[in-house]
Amino acid sequence: MTEAPPTETDLILRASTGDSDAFGGLVQPHLALFYNGIHRILGNDADAQDALQDALMSIHRDLPRFEGRSRFSSWGYKVCLNAALMVRRSRVRIHDMERPEPLALGPFDARGHHQEMDHAPEWQVEAQAHALAEQHELRACLTRALDELPDTHRIVFVLKDLEDWDTEDIARHLQVTAGTVRQRLHRARVLLQARLRTLLLGGRP
Amino acid sequence: MKLMPSCYEVQTDLTEYAEGALPLTRKLGIWIHLLLCHVCAGFLRGLRALPGVAKVSLAPPDKAPEAAARALAEVQAALRKNQTH
Repeated sequence: MTEAPPTETDLILRASTGDSDAFGGLVQPHLALFYNGIHRILGNDADAQDALQDALMSIHRDLPRFEGRSRFSSWGYKVCLNAALMVRRSRVRIHDMERPEPLALGPFDARGHHQEMDHAPEWQVEAQAHALAEQHELRACLTRALDELPDTHRIVFVLKDLEDWDTEDIARHLQVTAGTVRQRLHRARVLLQARLRTLLLGGRP
Repeated sequence: MKLMPSCYEVQTDLTEYAEGALPLTRKLGIWIHLLLCHVCAGFLRGLRALPGVAKVSLAPPDKAPEAAARALAEVQAALRKNQTH
């Protein structure tokens, strides 16, 4: 008779005592999730690997304090996001300059209203984007558009729209005002939507 | 400030509008504009749909990338080193 695989609780207990194989068995099923969350914040492989390594060390160190009130994956994911935010704070922020480019809106007439309203393409985002959501092309398009955002904008979009953080929590973490968070979020959404619209409408901006 | 904002003003303020962060008169002006302008209303629908689309299409891959495996291997090596000392 084959031996039953160890439970998550067993792995946590063994990993807490320094068993590296148990730690690997505990973390491996969630590694893609952890790395993905970190990478979305940092935007590059080298920083993401460093942050994941820091996060895994923190997870191991804090395992004795993990009380099982939440799932291990949720708890570990939070540790990973915090590690990513720490790395982001400490590195040279060469991409943090606000780009002086205008919002990708319009075109508008002199009074600020749409030109040729009757001919403006209606983007049926719900129908079209969801149909494409799992396709590689859309993933690549969004990933590229996210990478092209200034760090300050990407992180706000990731925390608000992908991780569902409150605006106030994001403001506290990033040490900016809630108004600044909303402003950056809006610019990020507008740019991403413009890219998505271009893709969905077959190249028409 | 005029009650009815332009399309440009509406599209600039839509995230603040959606978060309930605007003064009442501005909020009311945008609400009326959205009832009358199908382009701005479509723009708002696009903004609202974006997080859901992004969550699905940017979901983690099934398999962890090499960089993640390397990070775990480094940590496991450090743990083994600690165990032997």
